Amino acid sequence: MTWYAFFRAVARLVAWRLVRLEVSGRGHVPRRGPFLLVVNHLSFLDPILVAVACPRRIHALAKSTQFASGPVYAWLLPRVNAIPARRYKVDPQVVRTVLRLLEAGEGVCIYPEGERSWDGAPQPLRRGTVRLLLKTGVPVVPCGISGSYEAKPRWSATRHRARVALRFGEPIEFGVHDTRAEREVAFDAAAARIVSSLARLSGTEDAGAQGAEGPVSRS
Amino acid sequence: MALADLCYRCPECGHDPMSGEGDAVWCASCEVRIERRRGRLLMTRPGDNMEFDIKASDLYSKIYEHGGPMTRATRADGTVRYSARAEVSWRVSERPVWHRGALLGFAESMGPAAPGAITVERATVSIEDGRPDSGRWSLLDIRAVQAASRSLQLSLPGDRLVQLRFLDDSPRRWEVLMRLLVADAYERAGRGRVVEFQPRIVTG
Repeated sequence: MTWYAFFRAVARLVAWRLVRLEVSGRGHVPRRGPFLLVVNHLSFLDPILVAVACPRRIHALAKSTQFASGPVYAWLLPRVNAIPARRYKVDPQVVRTVLRLLEAGEGVCIYPEGERSWDGAPQPLRRGTVRLLLKTGVPVVPCGISGSYEAKPRWSATRHRARVALRFGEPIEFGVHDTRAEREVAFDAAAARIVSSLARLSGTEDAGAQGAEGPVSRS
Repeated sequence: MALADLCYRCPECGHDPMSGEGDAVWCASCEVRIERRRGRLLMTRPGDNMEFDIKASDLYSKIYEHGGPMTRATRADGTVRYSARAEVSWRVSERPVWHRGALLGFAESMGPAAPGAITVERATVSIEDGRPDSGRWSLLDIRAVQAASRSLQLSLPGDRLVQLRFLDDSPRRWEVLMRLLVADAYERAGRGRVVEFQPRIVTG
């Protein structure tokens, strides 16, 4: 048994205790080959719930400061397939690591909003993430979470048991966009498609999808 | 972490700041009270014995309609100046993270925290903690603005990263305030509209 499988089994027990989890659309996750899982981000519980719900092993991007926040995290995070991403500057090593994993046929989970929502509403997508999706050319599986904000919002120290729904959507094929110019042409349509998929799957269509533009609009 | 981090001013009357503790906030002016219970946000208006549900996003929209953080940061003469006490720490190193012989990436380590303060004005930000990294920068020199769990992080010239954990203020207030002021500085300088604040400031 790998450490990932061990901790996933533990996470399954923890998730059962923490929330009432409902999962749908598992069949949309490719059975083999590389894929990118893009998930909206509402709570620190999300990575645990996604790992439990996803039928395949995934590698997930995590903020790099977490890897330096003590020996437990430094040991644990690489073993649960977390990838450190520096958030305060463009991080080419993250791109290299993601591409290497995809080439090896693995699944990679990205939270394209880049951080947990303060108020439970959808956030604009990070532009670099959309460009990465376009560069890889692998199937992009959208996954919408709802309810985890009610269980544990980022501003609260307390956790409440809530019903959390996690829905996997049909894979989106963007095709390979090798050059920066190609990615720029496809950028807006790709961002809009991701935003609308996440809004539909997370039940936040009424909240108004913001797309990759307008990150200051609600600030 | 507390509800006052999100709800730093009153969504009803705009009074700033809200009083609060843990998962509850209340307004000293209009006496509205908001509390998180069993995953729901419940609001009680003064003189009204009924509680009703309110979504956090609606709460925040109302705060923004009242002017968000700008009202308190703007003085009577129209100038902007706002300060807060914070524990200040600076990035001291980055170490590679290896697993099974492969380089996964890099993790930054923050140095020890020291008591200090941040002051922002319309064109500059000052960070003082009595250490050599302290200083004053033009808002145009800020490379990125982001809120971490309970703190604000600013990327500064010279590949410096500072983290401010506020002692008696909201990190969300500061994140929004810094973004509004940086965006304003960029537009006044003719650099265009800021469309992204991290991992680096990008204009569109």
